[in-house]
Amino acid sequence: MTTAASALDRLRHALPSDTERPPAHYALDGGTPAIAFAPNDPAEVATLLHEADEAGLALAPLGARTAAALGRPLARYDIALDLRPLDRVIEYVPEDLVITVQAGVTLATLQATLREHGQYLTVDPPPGDEVTVGGMLASARSGAWRGHLPAARDLILGMRVALPSGEVVHSGGRVVKNVTGYDLHRMHTGALGAFGVIVEATFKLAPLPAATRTLLLTAADIEACGALARRVWDAGLAVRAIAVLGARAADAAMLAPVPCVLVEAAGSVAAVERTLRELRSAATGAGDASVETWARLRRLAAGPGATVLRLGVPPAEVETTVAALERAGLTAWAHLAAGSVIARGEIAAPDVEALRRMAVERGGFLQVEVASAALREAVDPTGAEERTLVEALKRQFDPRGTVNPGRRGPGL
Amino acid sequence: MRDGDAGHALDATLARTMATSSAAAHPASSGQPAGHEALVRDLQQALGVDSVLQAPEDLIAFEYDATIERALPEVAVFPATTDQVAAAVRIAEAHSRPVVPRGSGSGLSGGAVPVLGGVLVVLTKMNRIIEVDRVNRVAVVQPGVVNLQLQEALAPHGLVFAPDPSSQRVCSLGGNVANNSGGPHTLAHGSTVNHVLGLEVVLPGGRVVRFGGRLADMPGIDLRGLFVGSEGTIGIVTEITVRLVRAAPDVRTLVAIFDSVDAASEAVSAIIRRGLIPVALEMLDREIIRLVEPRIHAGYPLDAGAVLLIEVEGLAEGVEADAASVEEACGLAGAREVRVARTAAERDRLWEARKVGIGAIGAASPAFYLLDGVVPRTRLPEVMRGVMETSARYGFRVANIFHAGDGNLHPNLMFDPDEPGATERVLECAETIMRLCVDAGGAVTGEHGIGLEKRSYMEWIYSAADLAAMHAVRVAFGGADRFNPCKVLPGGHGCSVGHGAEALAVMRRGADSV
Ligand SMILES: Cc1cc2nc3c(=O)[nH]c(=O)nc-3n(C[C@H](O)[C@H](O)[C@H](O)COP(=O)(O)OP(=O)(O)OC[C@H]3O[C@@H](n4cnc5c(N)ncnc54)[C@H](O)[C@@H]3O)c2cc1C
Repeated sequence: MTTAASALDRLRHALPSDTERPPAHYALDGGTPAIAFAPNDPAEVATLLHEADEAGLALAPLGARTAAALGRPLARYDIALDLRPLDRVIEYVPEDLVITVQAGVTLATLQATLREHGQYLTVDPPPGDEVTVGGMLASARSGAWRGHLPAARDLILGMRVALPSGEVVHSGGRVVKNVTGYDLHRMHTGALGAFGVIVEATFKLAPLPAATRTLLLTAADIEACGALARRVWDAGLAVRAIAVLGARAADAAMLAPVPCVLVEAAGSVAAVERTLRELRSAATGAGDASVETWARLRRLAAGPGATVLRLGVPPAEVETTVAALERAGLTAWAHLAAGSVIARGEIAAPDVEALRRMAVERGGFLQVEVASAALREAVDPTGAEERTLVEALKRQFDPRGTVNPGRRGPGL
Repeated sequence: MRDGDAGHALDATLARTMATSSAAAHPASSGQPAGHEALVRDLQQALGVDSVLQAPEDLIAFEYDATIERALPEVAVFPATTDQVAAAVRIAEAHSRPVVPRGSGSGLSGGAVPVLGGVLVVLTKMNRIIEVDRVNRVAVVQPGVVNLQLQEALAPHGLVFAPDPSSQRVCSLGGNVANNSGGPHTLAHGSTVNHVLGLEVVLPGGRVVRFGGRLADMPGIDLRGLFVGSEGTIGIVTEITVRLVRAAPDVRTLVAIFDSVDAASEAVSAIIRRGLIPVALEMLDREIIRLVEPRIHAGYPLDAGAVLLIEVEGLAEGVEADAASVEEACGLAGAREVRVARTAAERDRLWEARKVGIGAIGAASPAFYLLDGVVPRTRLPEVMRGVMETSARYGFRVANIFHAGDGNLHPNLMFDPDEPGATERVLECAETIMRLCVDAGGAVTGEHGIGLEKRSYMEWIYSAADLAAMHAVRVAFGGADRFNPCKVLPGGHGCSVGHGAEALAVMRRGADSV
């Protein structure tokens, strides 16, 4: 579809010329936008949104594009909005353990800034620290630490969001406890831009643990691995990640190709030592593993080259789920405490639906994390949700469907 | 929670203003709004005669929460099931009546006060713990379950629901969800929203929906997160699925004794600055110690200016190191002494004193205004100095008992409402203190909610566009007009603004039943 040249000219007039970018750099699912901008500040983002809204053009906010295959393919795509120039740290008060950053800051930059003060943001989303803060919040994916440490949606204290109306609104603040008004930032977290574009966020931080160590535990089979992992979880040790890996997953993570349990101990030196001692005596086989193993798993959980599914199941059922998925030819592993199971491989739409039914029956869910546009059209990537309310919210915040139209399904 | 003395001038005026604004629309000879009989008949039919109260003498107990504000509902209903909640909401709407949800009525911002009359939906009958799933660390409860009731059911499993408001003996979990309540142990674990996995909600209009589920990070729009803290303005919670945490293997409780609030505040900032987050970090000042120590005998020295009640937990090894670091930080900030609770009984007494603190103020003063402000933790010393100076300037005794580690202040201004002008002065003093919090980069409520009390302060924090975005949520949920009207957002049809119409988190003598 060609977008009226006059409409594009209007956009060009509204924004400084140095913000325009070659549209070809922003192809999504094979579709190229008519125009692309990389604004310098939140006000320019709001201007662009407003102009797009007035002109009836569809806009896609983009960060590092590591979650571009999340959700449905876009129904319309006229404008790429590259948020990476919004890369400023607005305020960091280490003594308060609070930081405010713009949405284009990458997690790597953020963590590096914090590390200088012995602090960190307790999140490890896939596929790695190259994610931008805005993209991380909009996609709300968590990793191995979830269930042991709070996730991004629990750490967010305040947010600024640019709306299609051209306004930049804020909610929350920069104090660690706050119930002043509705928590609009929670609505935007995980919304894939449905209600506006996140331009700034404030987080609650944690001190870096004094020591961390990764241990690989083995047991007779995947069932025994699951039971072992739960014993570790129940022991109240100083751990921040417990993963149960199927044989294929172990192989993909460059470990011996047998089912295993990967544990990360974290805390004070003394607490980590005690934890390692107890872990070694609890398992028949225990050995050190490289911390790189976690980074590999993280990359596999959203990396290209295969379809990736994330299932939520009760922690008591992670190993049976992993076993079933590996039997079906997939590579599967689980983060126990969050009941989060990741499966990677080739899988057809009817099988995705069958797996989703299985997870939903257990009170869980299935989300398609990475897949071809065709698969994301054949199955609903997120699954059922309270659609009537979501539509009502969409009508309030983005009535013309300007931001990411269709990404959350028809009409959303 | 109060002595039922209705002679308070402000109370009476407010009650009158509110009563006229709600009844004036439909004056009827009986003194009840037009259509009252039909409304009651429909409700009785749907819920049963015993679950509907309408005689004014029966409704008196439901005209206020823990605040000074009061207004009579037209009818109070006590549903036993989600279907009955939905029926009550539909009937209220069919009769164009406001709906106001209510849990235990321990709220401190007037959230459960039916300012425009209408149907008060009281959730106390829905008080069943439906399920405790030990292995998966999940519990499913009805909204009327009292916070402590759940804690007691969990204790044998070695599990805890982390939010533990000081009112936990009375407050309902529905109220905790509605207000996103905190407590001493939310410092390390986070407020209620971090512990709610799923909700069943009756929306304005009566439709029943589910948000979230039994696991964290359910995909899709996080309506669960949006709902928690909405103060009963966009729906009624009828079932809650909560996340449980394992009780820590080892706990150490310390008491650091200081000569002044100032020194204790410096110690709080110093502890956080070390990158040390205890699970609890509470401050009790001299006024509080003098009120509670003679009753509880917890061992707080009567001549201390302030004490910090600090708890660290985890593996024994880590606890040891953290406790040593806390002790050092307190010592450097000028602590006169740091004591460690040696037995569980000693620890319980220290906490008991914390929990009865607010009630003890009620026993010592004809009335007091409990403030709830929050500031960045590095600003605690200067803001606390401001709190002390401001209350002295206005001539009020102030007692401080609060979640210092979160920067969440609770100055309690003691006053005599029968003294002419005292109530107006206490309001002014409170407003000045709230300004101090906001000017220091803080907020006007850390856990008690906006309710009626702080609607006019919303504009200090949020722009018109921010507030419009919040209002849009209310519209989307269908609760803009008649669902807990006049709460959280300024404005609203029939809701007059300004101090005259606001609630005060004022408790009168007798409040120590909490
Ligand atoms: C002495 C004392 C100490 C306190 N300490 C703390 C503390 O440490 N931390 C803290 O956070 N709070 C504290 N509070 C405040 C209060 O106890 C909490 O806000 C509590 O969560 C309110 O619960 P409730 O059941 O009493 O709610 P109510 O007072 O009945 O209602 C509070 C609000 O919730 C709404 N609501 C109630 N039930 C539902 C439901 N099922 N669905 C939808 N909306 C509903 C009401 O409309 C109202 O807006 C304290 C209060 C007192 C009196």
